[in-house]
Amino acid sequence: MAKWGMVIDLDKCTGCQACTTACAMENNTLPGESWQDVLFYHEGEYPSGQMKWLPRPCMQCEKPSCVYVCPTRATYKDENAGGIVFVDWNKCIGCKYCMIACPYGVRFYADEKPLIEPDMREVYPGQNKQLWSPPYQNPDEDWRRGIGIQPPGVVSKCTFCYHKVSKAPAGTVDFDEDNPAVKEYVPACVRTCAPKARYFGDLDAPDSQVNQLIGDKHGVRLKDHTGNKPQVYYLGAGAGVPAFTPADKGDKS
Amino acid sequence: MNNNSNLLKGGMGVVLLILSAVILVVSLFVALTNLGSQGHASFNTSSTLPWGQPIATYLYFALASSGLGLLASLPLVFGFKQYYPVAKRCVFLAFVILISGMAVLALELGNVFRMLWAIPLNLQVQSAMFWMGVFYALDLLFLLWKFSKLDAGEWDSKTSKQVGIASFIGVLLASGNLALIFGMMSMRPFWFDGLLPIYFYFTGVTSGMAALVFFVYLAHGFSRDRMHPTLQSLLSGALPKMFAALIGGTLLFIAARAITGVYSNNPEIHLVWSDYLFASSLYHLSLWVGLLLPFLLMLNGNFRNQAGVQLLVSVLVFLGLFAERFYFVVGGQVVPLFKGTWYPDMIAYTPSLTEWALTFVGWSLALLLIVLGERFLNLSAMPDGVAESTSARPLAAG
Repeated sequence: MAKWGMVIDLDKCTGCQACTTACAMENNTLPGESWQDVLFYHEGEYPSGQMKWLPRPCMQCEKPSCVYVCPTRATYKDENAGGIVFVDWNKCIGCKYCMIACPYGVRFYADEKPLIEPDMREVYPGQNKQLWSPPYQNPDEDWRRGIGIQPPGVVSKCTFCYHKVSKAPAGTVDFDEDNPAVKEYVPACVRTCAPKARYFGDLDAPDSQVNQLIGDKHGVRLKDHTGNKPQVYYLGAGAGVPAFTPADKGDKS
Repeated sequence: MNNNSNLLKGGMGVVLLILSAVILVVSLFVALTNLGSQGHASFNTSSTLPWGQPIATYLYFALASSGLGLLASLPLVFGFKQYYPVAKRCVFLAFVILISGMAVLALELGNVFRMLWAIPLNLQVQSAMFWMGVFYALDLLFLLWKFSKLDAGEWDSKTSKQVGIASFIGVLLASGNLALIFGMMSMRPFWFDGLLPIYFYFTGVTSGMAALVFFVYLAHGFSRDRMHPTLQSLLSGALPKMFAALIGGTLLFIAARAITGVYSNNPEIHLVWSDYLFASSLYHLSLWVGLLLPFLLMLNGNFRNQAGVQLLVSVLVFLGLFAERFYFVVGGQVVPLFKGTWYPDMIAYTPSLTEWALTFVGWSLALLLIVLGERFLNLSAMPDGVAESTSARPLAAG
């Protein structure tokens, strides 16, 4: 059985946010509801100041703390779907405990103040129980897996583009956007990545490209001390996430 | 016990009933109108700070209820007979305050009615929130059962004792588990604390005691002369001493958390104390005026037994601990979690009008139910033997 994983090479990432945009287009997310985001870290000062770009999808953890805290099993890890963590919008009661428990801050409660004006929910008011109904919508919708546009009062998150990945031919282990045979099934963030910093494939297949990259290039998982064991690995320099420092208290050392 | 001594059965009760009903209707109208038109966008919470004042309000009410439940167990489970005069009122207050807290929580959730089937049918036993539902439902059931026993005059029957013990255990499980909802979150270091249940028990009893003292005086027109002698004896003897000890213990708990927090290098703990809590004048006010001043007042033997001081202390502690709950809930979330320099500062949060309306829904609903209880139930009842005992002589424990 497949175990879907993602590898992100930080030495290649340019912070262009194409992945973030592609995700928003693919999944019809609201501004600020960034299932996929590229975090920007600023650390240190001249002459050793650093700037880091850190693409951040849902980590689809092997031990997802969000799943354990959900009182209704609305959030669940589906081993039959490659270990992707889904939110069943028919069961979510909007308690937001999963958002508290996720160490990676990758869950969204879009029933909140708009990030930008005009409020897209007012421009395109929700129909058929949707929170908002833009004129273009991805036709794929599966509320049991949190795919599509959510109803009000539920939590949403990255699905590794399961609506695409699940349609791949059986036995696919490498989702290479340059391979015409599988490119339609590649997650939107991976397919759009211009510097080809992202890879997607089967972590359970010994010969998969993701496994080779993790082994050869010393892939690491973020916040490993939490024990959540992400299915997303990072390569290259810059995977060390600096501790929070308020802007007015920069590192003076 | 002379029921006529309860002023809430008269005109003052009617005034309070109308006042609380008006506040309830207005605040509920504001909350429901805003929730209906804007959804939870009418809250000032966000995906980066998902739990705000409504959760803090629920926490405050739930723990005050548990505290009252624990106070009721002093006479009903552990045999501290001098607390009999407040036992029935404790159980009643615990019940209605918990109901009020649950009402606030219900309006905070995204899909409240779905909860009614989704939690029991899916049995996610790994979730502390699942157990919160189970334990607080049991807590409510046992409180109601216990109250019905006391109301029927069954103070010492075997069933009454068993229900009392079950209720005591229910309270411990409910509030201890509520603490673990926060305390087990290792990704939120400000909350992560295996001893948090003890902190919640202690502060819960303190807030319960504050509520008890206030509502005992309210029921008797803020005059001790109207009270039964045994109640007077309690209020000038064991109860204020215990109240003082509880406030002191609460201060110790806060001090221990603050010292470890400030000492820690971990910014997710350290900064919460230095740049959020201790940077807030309101937090300072709640700490020094809401807790330390009452403690100092209660340390003095003369002050401690004065009705006016007890009343003042109960109000200050009531408000001080409400602020404490607010800063506890929000404090665990103000450091941005994995947001990079997109969030260069701590997350700012001030409750919105809708969130304040929900808090007032809780307070006014509690007051309404309490006044109704005072009017239609004899909350000052106590066992015949206790009521008839010599009022001047404090009753021995056991």
